Amino acid sequence: MSQTQAFSDDFFSVMLPEMLLFVGLVALMIIPNLGKGTFRIPGTQIRLPWFLGGQRFALTSNPRLPAWIATITLAGAFAAVADSLNGGVDALTVVSSGTESAKELLEVNGFSRVFELIFFGALALASFSSMNRLKVEGTGGKLSEEQLYNNRRQADFYILMLTCGLGMSVVALAQDLFVLFIGLELASFSTYVLVAFMKESKAGSEAGMKYFIVGSVASGVGLYGLSMLYLWAGSLQFSVLAEAFAVSGTEALPLIGIGFVLVGFGFKVSAAPFHFAAPDAYAGASSPVAGVLATASKAMGMVGLIRMLLIVAAPESSEGSAVWLVCIGALAALTMTWGNIAALGSTNPKRMLAYSSVAHAGYMLAGLTAVGAWTWDPSFAGKEGEAALLVMTALMFHLLVLVAFKLGAFLVLSILESDGDASRLSSLGGLAKREPLLAFAMFIFMISLAGVPPMAGFLSKLLVIMGIVNVGVGAGATSLGELHWVWWLALLMVLNSAISVFYYLRVAVVMFFEEPEEGREGALPSGWQVRTSIFICVTATVILGVFGDSVLEMCRTAAESLTTKW
Amino acid sequence: MQLVGFPVLAGIVLLAFVANAKKSAHEKLNNPIRMASFAFSLVLFVYTTWMFFEVFASINPEQGIIFNDYKLYDSYEWFPALGIHWTVGLDALSFPMVWLTTFLLPVTIIATWHEKNGATYFPTLLLMGGALIGVFVSLDLFMFYVFWELTLIPMFFLILNWGGKNRKYASQKFFIYTFTASVVMLLGLVTLYLMQPDQIGTGGKYGTMTGRTFDIPTLVSAATEANKDGWYMGENMQKVLFVMLMLGFLVKLPAVPFHTWLPDAHVQAPTGGSMLLAGVMLKMGAYGMFRLPLSMFPHALQHFQLALMIFGMVSLVWGAIVCLGQTNLKKMVAYSSVSHMGVILIGIATMQPMGWAAALFMMFAHGIISPMLFAVCGAFKHHYHSMEIGAMRGMAKHSPWLATSMMFAWMASLGLPLLAGFVAELMMFIALWYFIDLQGWSVLWMIGPALVLALTAAYYLWSMQRTIFEGGEETQPPASLHGSPVPDISNEEKIAMLILAAFTILFGILPWIGLDMMDSYCRTFFEHMISNGIFKGGA
Repeated sequence: MSQTQAFSDDFFSVMLPEMLLFVGLVALMIIPNLGKGTFRIPGTQIRLPWFLGGQRFALTSNPRLPAWIATITLAGAFAAVADSLNGGVDALTVVSSGTESAKELLEVNGFSRVFELIFFGALALASFSSMNRLKVEGTGGKLSEEQLYNNRRQADFYILMLTCGLGMSVVALAQDLFVLFIGLELASFSTYVLVAFMKESKAGSEAGMKYFIVGSVASGVGLYGLSMLYLWAGSLQFSVLAEAFAVSGTEALPLIGIGFVLVGFGFKVSAAPFHFAAPDAYAGASSPVAGVLATASKAMGMVGLIRMLLIVAAPESSEGSAVWLVCIGALAALTMTWGNIAALGSTNPKRMLAYSSVAHAGYMLAGLTAVGAWTWDPSFAGKEGEAALLVMTALMFHLLVLVAFKLGAFLVLSILESDGDASRLSSLGGLAKREPLLAFAMFIFMISLAGVPPMAGFLSKLLVIMGIVNVGVGAGATSLGELHWVWWLALLMVLNSAISVFYYLRVAVVMFFEEPEEGREGALPSGWQVRTSIFICVTATVILGVFGDSVLEMCRTAAESLTTKW
Repeated sequence: MQLVGFPVLAGIVLLAFVANAKKSAHEKLNNPIRMASFAFSLVLFVYTTWMFFEVFASINPEQGIIFNDYKLYDSYEWFPALGIHWTVGLDALSFPMVWLTTFLLPVTIIATWHEKNGATYFPTLLLMGGALIGVFVSLDLFMFYVFWELTLIPMFFLILNWGGKNRKYASQKFFIYTFTASVVMLLGLVTLYLMQPDQIGTGGKYGTMTGRTFDIPTLVSAATEANKDGWYMGENMQKVLFVMLMLGFLVKLPAVPFHTWLPDAHVQAPTGGSMLLAGVMLKMGAYGMFRLPLSMFPHALQHFQLALMIFGMVSLVWGAIVCLGQTNLKKMVAYSSVSHMGVILIGIATMQPMGWAAALFMMFAHGIISPMLFAVCGAFKHHYHSMEIGAMRGMAKHSPWLATSMMFAWMASLGLPLLAGFVAELMMFIALWYFIDLQGWSVLWMIGPALVLALTAAYYLWSMQRTIFEGGEETQPPASLHGSPVPDISNEEKIAMLILAAFTILFGILPWIGLDMMDSYCRTFFEHMISNGIFKGGA
């Protein structure tokens, strides 16, 4: 494994996607001000004098410009990641510069690359389809203060999108809990503001407030856990923590510390019982942002969980089950059941999708549980790696394809939101008559979420189940009693999938059966951008479900690069 | 390969064509789309019929079609990482079902020629047919499951968009009920998959990532040959998996007590949906049993033989008793399906080659007869706007065509000799007799099924009496017509009825056309099991 110092030449070439985001960020701050004598500090109304000038140029005052810059930047970063994944990723560790002993800060490998792919893909689609969402009050000519302000808000929204992406990719790359925390907070703060950004409705600011308060409490608890870990091991490096954990992992201090850290990440993946803010946040945020929360933000939380549970607190492969096994197993069972049952009762499609996102978090936690149980059977020795790899591959594939159908579902709701409202199930009424193709797309997303073949959602769920069952049957159980108990998590998972069909199908029935709400007949207003995004999502949902083999192999290689333990 | 791809692609292309057209143009599109769908389905029918003469009829009768040997076999890599292949092949289990599907598609299109919104209806039927064929031809567990679930989607839309008053409830119940059973089955399949010995690095049919395979022929060979003395993968585990798989199939079949989705789905489904649902979709359950648990877990089959027998008896008797109490024509026919599916289960549970052949032939015969029953019900509903038995008396006077078709279908279903259903029932009774004899049971056990024969005759004859004949000179036209003249069935419906009746007679008089291959399949299956020491010798 090669190393390089931060800010060396290698560093810049390997961090190309992040650098692209950085350049995009700077461009977003500067370009909308070009031609004007004052420079607006993003997010505020404070203007500082900079160059001489008068009126902004026609091009730079175009309110659509920031959206295009952000989308192109994110798409470029996505392409850069995809390109580097294409030829196989050489792991490269970035260490701190300076004369002291070098500390590992970031590591670029297949694992982090796949997660970058998830983050940038989701954000690019969300930015692209937000282009029609924020109010634009004409260009040029005489505009009132309010209209100008609305136009300038555009830049702020997309700046936040980019900082969010930057923070997330730092989380995926981090080899040090402190670096990870910085990235986490960068992304979190961006999402808090993004959630509150929908000023058109009162729900937006309320949701942002709630999300911020609960989120910062969770972060605070996590930070407290970090400090305990530091107190115990004297370092926040993953490698150091993992070594220390292997020696004295059963002490109270590190266990409590890890427990606290898990609360922080549990909030991010919206695992029950830390999910309470999620439905409010999703319902209050504009739909593309809610889609980002349900896909990219969740994937970020999963990275944290994977690092903490499988790198730091993982047992050596001959030592039996992980200490957190029962705890995470119970959390998984609780999360998936709670999410599904709560989704049954929600009549707001966005809340329903939020709860379904909770349920999906439960499925992924069940997968993690299986990894923790890999060494339960002595006769299984030598194959633990295979078992763990299968689960990791499944998790990464699931998070990857989730972007297609979860975000896609939110984008359909986004179109309905710009038509007026998407907060009731009946808002979807008659969609099949108004927009048959959109209804068809939504139907595809719903059955993919439910796990009906041949959609990508089925394949990913099947893989997770496979991973769990693989550990459950071990080296060949001959009776039910010989199965490891994680097998029952798989059973719970399929039963939960069956429950979830109720509410996913309800959406289909409303779309194809019910009449549209009063005054909402006819085609929906919306630009081509969001429709293009939905088209991409539908295509990906079907294609990855039917021809997902190469992506599967990619996830497999990425999972192999996570750790050398397997 | 082309069998699945053709109808699915045709359906998608036609649907896309319709979706692109303006809404006002949909009416105009009805006719061309209908003709196109009909042409596509006819091509399929000709193709499978050709296949029968070319491949299945020309096989040396001495050798026959044997167990675990597949004709027209084709295999392509699909997910090599997981050992998933696109594997298709036909044997005596699947070919009759495939032929049946392709036969029913054009007939259904004819019978429901004037269905509303035809521009989307007929392509949906094609999609349904494609998914059904996919279930029957697939020889890969993954592929099988994909198509198994895929059939739910077109059927869901057929019920939801073209169904009766309560279609919203019925379509959801249908989807959720069968999906729940299927996911339990999926867990069983995955467990079975991972219970195989690890073959990492073997390549071929085995996954590069998991070292296991979804290939059905490989799994069947392993289960029936690898371990001659003991139980494949452990006694307890085999039983658990058997139960998990059977649950999915019993719900689909459906057997009492898992049948409650069926009456709702049937009563609310449009005629075309009912015809395919009863004709082919129910057979998916029986087919799945033969293809997977019965072939893969022969030990567990022996263990659960009596349980299956009880399921079969209960379905047979319960379905018939409930039929007696029905006032809705379609509901009665739906419950009669439950009763007939009981015959299939009994045939399986006898564990006699003849019983199995009876079950297979019952699947086939019921697949021709029950669509006719539902076509009659559909015509009834279509022309009289009512399904109530007794809403109309003396139909024979008003609508001789409908009355004749109804009488023929009813007779065929209750097992009149020289019609297809009789052959299967007779064989089942003989096999049951063998079974009772072997078990040393009392002859009294024959009373249940024999009683049901009487019950079946009772409910069919009674309903005929109340609709076709009663009334004498003063016939009673249905009140739902509000005094307008009583119509007879349309020409298209007449054609469909004639075709179905003709094939019912054909397979009643010359059952060996289909029975030969089923028989040789079952015989070789049992010979194989006995020679491998899994089954003890028997009749």
